[in-house]
Amino acid sequence: MDIGDCYVGWATDEDIRTRGASGGLVTAMLAAALEKGLVEAVVVLKKLGEFEAVPVVTSDPEEVKAAAGSMHSVPIVLSRYLDYGTKVALPAKPCDARSTLEQAKRGQVDIDTTYIVGLNCGGTMHPAVTREMLDVMYKLDPEDIEGEEIDKGKLIFETKDGEEHAIKIDELEEEGYGRRESCQYCAVNIPTMADIACGNWGVIGDLAGKGTFVEINTKKGIEILQNAIDAGAVEITPADDKGKAIRAKVDGAMMNVAAAANDKFLAPIEGSHLDYYMNALSDCINCGACKTVCPVCACGEGAKCTDFSSASDTYKMSLFHLVRFVHLMDSCIGCGQCTDVCPVDIPLTHIYQRFAVPMQEEFEYKPGMDMTTPPFFGVDLVEEGH
Amino acid sequence: MNENIFTTVCPGCSIACGMYIREKDDGTFDIDWRKDAVVNAGKLCRFGVRLSANLKNATSKVDGNEVELSDAVTAAGKAIGDGATFVSVGNTTCAEHLALMKLAESKGAVVNTGMGAFSSIPAECHPTMGVGIPFDAIESAKKIVLFIDPYEQYPLLVRRILAAKKNGATVTAVGWKAVSLADDNKTIDPANYESDLALDSDSVIIAELNPSTDPERVMVLLNLAKASGAAIMFMKPFVNAVGCDLASKKTEQKSLDQIIAEINDGSIKTLVCLDSDLIEIMPDETAVREALGKLDNLIAITSRASAIADVANIVVATEPLYKKAGTIVNAEGRALHNSGESTDGIDAIGAMMGQPVGMYDEIHATLLATLGIDEVDERVVPAYEKPEYKAMDANPTAEAVETALVYAGGPFFWTGMVDDNDFVEMNLDMVTANSLLKGIPAKITSDKGEVAVKYKVSDVAPGVVLSNAKLPMTTGMVTSVTVSR
Ligand code: SF4
Repeated sequence: MDIGDCYVGWATDEDIRTRGASGGLVTAMLAAALEKGLVEAVVVLKKLGEFEAVPVVTSDPEEVKAAAGSMHSVPIVLSRYLDYGTKVALPAKPCDARSTLEQAKRGQVDIDTTYIVGLNCGGTMHPAVTREMLDVMYKLDPEDIEGEEIDKGKLIFETKDGEEHAIKIDELEEEGYGRRESCQYCAVNIPTMADIACGNWGVIGDLAGKGTFVEINTKKGIEILQNAIDAGAVEITPADDKGKAIRAKVDGAMMNVAAAANDKFLAPIEGSHLDYYMNALSDCINCGACKTVCPVCACGEGAKCTDFSSASDTYKMSLFHLVRFVHLMDSCIGCGQCTDVCPVDIPLTHIYQRFAVPMQEEFEYKPGMDMTTPPFFGVDLVEEGH
Repeated sequence: MNENIFTTVCPGCSIACGMYIREKDDGTFDIDWRKDAVVNAGKLCRFGVRLSANLKNATSKVDGNEVELSDAVTAAGKAIGDGATFVSVGNTTCAEHLALMKLAESKGAVVNTGMGAFSSIPAECHPTMGVGIPFDAIESAKKIVLFIDPYEQYPLLVRRILAAKKNGATVTAVGWKAVSLADDNKTIDPANYESDLALDSDSVIIAELNPSTDPERVMVLLNLAKASGAAIMFMKPFVNAVGCDLASKKTEQKSLDQIIAEINDGSIKTLVCLDSDLIEIMPDETAVREALGKLDNLIAITSRASAIADVANIVVATEPLYKKAGTIVNAEGRALHNSGESTDGIDAIGAMMGQPVGMYDEIHATLLATLGIDEVDERVVPAYEKPEYKAMDANPTAEAVETALVYAGGPFFWTGMVDDNDFVEMNLDMVTANSLLKGIPAKITSDKGEVAVKYKVSDVAPGVVLSNAKLPMTTGMVTSVTVSR
């Protein structure tokens, strides 16, 4: 097994194969990593309901197995739950993986002890929007939903009576539903920066729907997959060229869609820029949630954005925001977490991206894509972290 | 390596935002965002976000000495005799409140929820004063009139009001300070509310009812709602104020001012406060401390280390709210389930009246019956009957002082927790009239004393010095002051 190799794999355990997405390879690999002692803990989403899951850091393989299956309505970035020094594995959408790398560059994550099991991602949805969408677009009771999947550009919900209900994602997004705005313009669909990138694109023929396409990106990627094979938890077969080509084609098509969304959502501001930002930020209640939840912010309590800002000395557009917009220009990955948690619904990710994208282009730095390029703002790894 | 995660609500106000608490082995915790929470879609205000930094667990004490919980319970059981007065404003679960009601009944007393207005206003109005309207109904209103500052007092209402505006609603704010989301910020004489506001049945009135609210003011607003057909919602500062009020219905209650007066005249000797810190809740902290010092027995049954725990004779330290088994009813009347399973607090109260452990199931059944539901489902707001009420004669106290320090309230204020709020706000006229300089604190003087405090120029009503933090020289929610350099 070498870096760059591609396989199709599946779990040997029938239960995991049935419950997990695309043959349950990721679940089996993560559980085997714990069972064989490759890692001490795994970060997973513990399912609490059809649209609700909470990240847990667990050393219990059964908890990992119970978390099998994808949840598009749980838009959470898991890198925030990593603990420095713990040998840990996490299933990682591109934003999970990218933020893990950005944290590693700032000394907050030990990349050598962190196994990033990448998951292809076409986007996630906010649970509140999903519930409303089910009501308005699908005419379904959210409580009647038993599963969901995305297939061939359609979002499909299965109801408890076994019926499937599908609507094209384009159609949903035209009506303001579907994926979160930031996911619509995110152009990273295959987590090439993860140790191993997994997904269902490129799985064809008899294995379609039953296997996961895997690309090995690092030595750790080899380790975690080989560990699962040695444990008898997964089986693999080399991916064929046609599958690889299809996967690349899907990725290319998704990137084009993202580019169009980028043009639409991040179109140049018309009129006064100052008015635009003052209006956008005028309802801010100074909660600080955007900072707390940011998966690439490594500053902790004594941060520039909070130190420079005070409620007694601010007018509409606080120094907190101004400092953050600038300070995150080199690291904002557009994951959407800040917008999700903003209590007054300020489209923060959108604003961060307005600052970050041009600067990242100018410095030719796309955050979280690899560990070799340092961020363009200086970081002192010794002082800021470990 | 496994974590304890609780699905719970923020204890900061009666919105009761859904959140997760992740508890670590050492008992400290972090909050996390519960995006599927129906009340708040996972969003939290500054109070919720900073909860783990501010919330500290209490320690059981008798006469200032740390003791085991069981010893504190035994001491409390002995100290609480007939004639004790009980207070629970709604900072705990319905189950604990109901347990306290049982204890109070066993002593021939009732539990006071501290909302004095309920005692002064006809009972037929109580359902309307108690339970609000679903937050969704705010979003579909055509006209909203705010008698609160949502940014400061009830931050998670802001997005509801903004959504209403997107849907075409107009917003009028009648308050101490202009709020930026309002189309119109006004000062209106209460006598002219009806004509100036021109509300109708598509309108929503949002006001606040707190322990210091003037009942006459509540009556004016109830009259306005009645005359216009508008829906009215009284927000409450305490997370489960509505649940506790529903549980306590039909009992004669004393206001907190009355309780303090009766302590001062010697008719109350023993006071039992369940997660109700009068030092924090009442505006004149010095006066409250003085009064509490006159009690024979001050018993604080409390889940957090707050000011009252430092002065109580007996502190019965219970588990934090997120760990408690039980239900919270928020301002909408929505019943919210706490995933915690601990009944330590209930059992402690039970033990004070010699009850064996295990009261929870019976108490929970009582609550469900009171709410008229079979189970707690956060996605369904129980149906509440709100009978018609008659218009009332009301003469709100005119706050006719030339310059007044006014408390805006808000979650940090009502819990006495630290925040970035160590400044007052006043308008430019007041700043220039008093020759204040940027960067130099303003002196605020009342009959009781003087403080020097940072100030900020805001669009505040003339003559008003607005504060969100408690200052030592105040005598009420509104205190006559002078301002100088
Ligand atoms: S204080 Fe109120 S508005 Fe703020 S997070 Fe807590 S419950 Fe929500």
